[in-house]
Amino acid sequence: MKATRKPMPIMAHMIPFFPDLPRSHRVARALIDGGARYLEIQFPYSDPTADGPDIQGAGAQALARGFTVRAGWDFIASLREGDGSPEQTPLFVMGYAGLVFAHGIDRFVARAAELGVEGVIVPDLPLDSDEGLLEAGARHGVNIVPVIALGAAPHRVALVHEARTRYIYASLRRGITGSHTDIGEENIAFMEELGSRGARVLAGFGVATAEQVRAVTGHAHAAVVGSAFVRALRALEQEADNAKADPADHDPDPYGRVRALVERLTGLEARNGPD
Amino acid sequence: MKSKNETGPLPGYFGEFGGRYVAEVLRGPLEELDAALGLLDRDMEFWKLLGRIREEYIGRPTPLLFAENSTRALGGARLFIKLEGLANTGAHKVNNAIGQALLAQRMGKSRIIAETGAGQHGLATAAICAKLGLECTIYMGEVDIARQRPNVFMMELFGARVVPVTSGSRTLKDAVNEALRDWAASSADTHYIIGSALGPSPYPEMVHRFQSVVGKETESQLHDRGLEPHVLVACVGGGSNAIGFFSPWLERDVPRLVGVEAGGRGVGRGDHAARMNGLGVPGIVQGYKSLFLLDGDGQVQETHSVSAGLDYPGIGPQLAALGTAGRVEFARATDRQALEAVSFFARHEGVVFALESAHGGYQAMELARTLSPDQVVVVNMSGRGDKDLFITARELTPGPWRRFLLDEAAAIPAPAEAEE
Ligand SMILES: Cc1ncc(COP(=O)(O)O)c(C=O)c1O
Repeated sequence: MKATRKPMPIMAHMIPFFPDLPRSHRVARALIDGGARYLEIQFPYSDPTADGPDIQGAGAQALARGFTVRAGWDFIASLREGDGSPEQTPLFVMGYAGLVFAHGIDRFVARAAELGVEGVIVPDLPLDSDEGLLEAGARHGVNIVPVIALGAAPHRVALVHEARTRYIYASLRRGITGSHTDIGEENIAFMEELGSRGARVLAGFGVATAEQVRAVTGHAHAAVVGSAFVRALRALEQEADNAKADPADHDPDPYGRVRALVERLTGLEARNGPD
Repeated sequence: MKSKNETGPLPGYFGEFGGRYVAEVLRGPLEELDAALGLLDRDMEFWKLLGRIREEYIGRPTPLLFAENSTRALGGARLFIKLEGLANTGAHKVNNAIGQALLAQRMGKSRIIAETGAGQHGLATAAICAKLGLECTIYMGEVDIARQRPNVFMMELFGARVVPVTSGSRTLKDAVNEALRDWAASSADTHYIIGSALGPSPYPEMVHRFQSVVGKETESQLHDRGLEPHVLVACVGGGSNAIGFFSPWLERDVPRLVGVEAGGRGVGRGDHAARMNGLGVPGIVQGYKSLFLLDGDGQVQETHSVSAGLDYPGIGPQLAALGTAGRVEFARATDRQALEAVSFFARHEGVVFALESAHGGYQAMELARTLSPDQVVVVNMSGRGDKDLFITARELTPGPWRRFLLDEAAAIPAPAEAEE
């Protein structure tokens, strides 16, 4: 049964160097092997104003473990080399304006293009003050993915439509990442509206169960899942800490846990009982 | 998209700096704020009410003191001190807090959030919320809570909830991040009062507007005495007291306007909070473009200053633009020099500068020494130093202060139960 079902499309979020560099490589591997349609690779930043507590904490840890932008690109390069899947899993890079601007917008996008990155997401460079991000994307052949939030005014949604980007990233809640989101009528209408002109809608914020993924992917191109993976990795770290007394018992490799989570979220692995 | 150069300066920009670089979730609340500000010009009731509160509650106008003894001791220009620290709650911060709180009421908001570093802005905001009957939450870094306990006590006394911020460097900038996150989810009933002339548009111009009362008063107080200022001096954290104080003269060529940043303990990375004169680089942080202290990889640097109010990595966009254009000059004062100025003005004038303001005080002393007696130097004492007691006393008289604190601690009976 597993093999015949088609996975529901998710964009799985991850942070290089979280929990540390070697394990983040294993996380990426597990996400790809587990059937994530896309990877969103967040470059951590000192002042992540739109991250919820889970991702914020993970980003801070990644910085403490040595993340640099150069190391981020190296991470992506090695992911691409090591990706054994028949069609390479498309990678998106997400970063805050502060980091992208400091590295030079054009240079940042050019580097992403060199590495075959599918899209760049900078939530705090909105289309009407994007410092040339969209143009840089066109120049170098990388998709720039505008971010729009539930409740945005019609003129903001129009701005996104006018940009005619291949992808649109939709935040399904008014606040920030992390807490649970109900996929109700308002969200469904929002996703449908965004996708109405042919853009691929990547929708998320607070999506953490297969049930939510199913609800979202009925109306969007893919569901974005972020904090759920961070929480799973945190739980694993906690267990490792608790097992310190008897380290032989503990397997620090997050691969199995993460892969199982992706498979559950994408519906590849039916769980016993309801999601 | 159009580039800015083709269309001239966009609203919300000062030269190349400023702007509104926020995630879409914050766009709505900022546009709502734009709309409310647009109505203020014709809202005579608002300005009348603000005028009354300024007079009755803040205690405006604050005095302009001729620092006669200091002038004599320094032996040069005549030195005047704008005693802004005599404003109720102890600093200029209240001018902005009140303006924004009244605006929030106009907008139908019942809850206020604010960030604070030293606690002065939090204190002013908590006080005005108590007065206006608004619910108040203050975000404050864990590190700042530890070093500014007296202000935490005061904010709680006013009925505010003080939320410790445990992310990042656990100081002012992280408190701003946390307040922005709160606001992203709560803006339907909540207004965010930013404490300095920074953040996404329209904050810098709005804060400037509410702080310009300091400069306007100073201008008329000088005029009443038949004086022409040659140099105005103010300390610069985010820049709200400086921009308000300089406000009437920004479009003119004179007087000289001097902003003083925190020189900390040196110019090494992490040792200071000075962004001008080549130390900061252009960046986009916390919703605005300006000059920031960044590390080699573009991450925001940690900063240091003896004064928590200047301990912030960015400078307001308008001051950054005025500095780049040469209209405002920038200098630095070190931790030691600020403490020296606190002692100097206490001895000579019976006035205790806040540590932040004392950075400006030190530079004013230097200027007064070198300029001639027919020239007038005016320094803005943005805050008074009562709040710094636990820092200045420790720095200036460590022995007796330590004994006092030990005795005090010993005199408090340990609570029987755990406190929390
Ligand atoms: C007394 C005083 N002066 C100055 C500042 C710095 O802020 P700004 O540069 O916005 O005036 C502070 C900030 O807390 C302060 O408390």
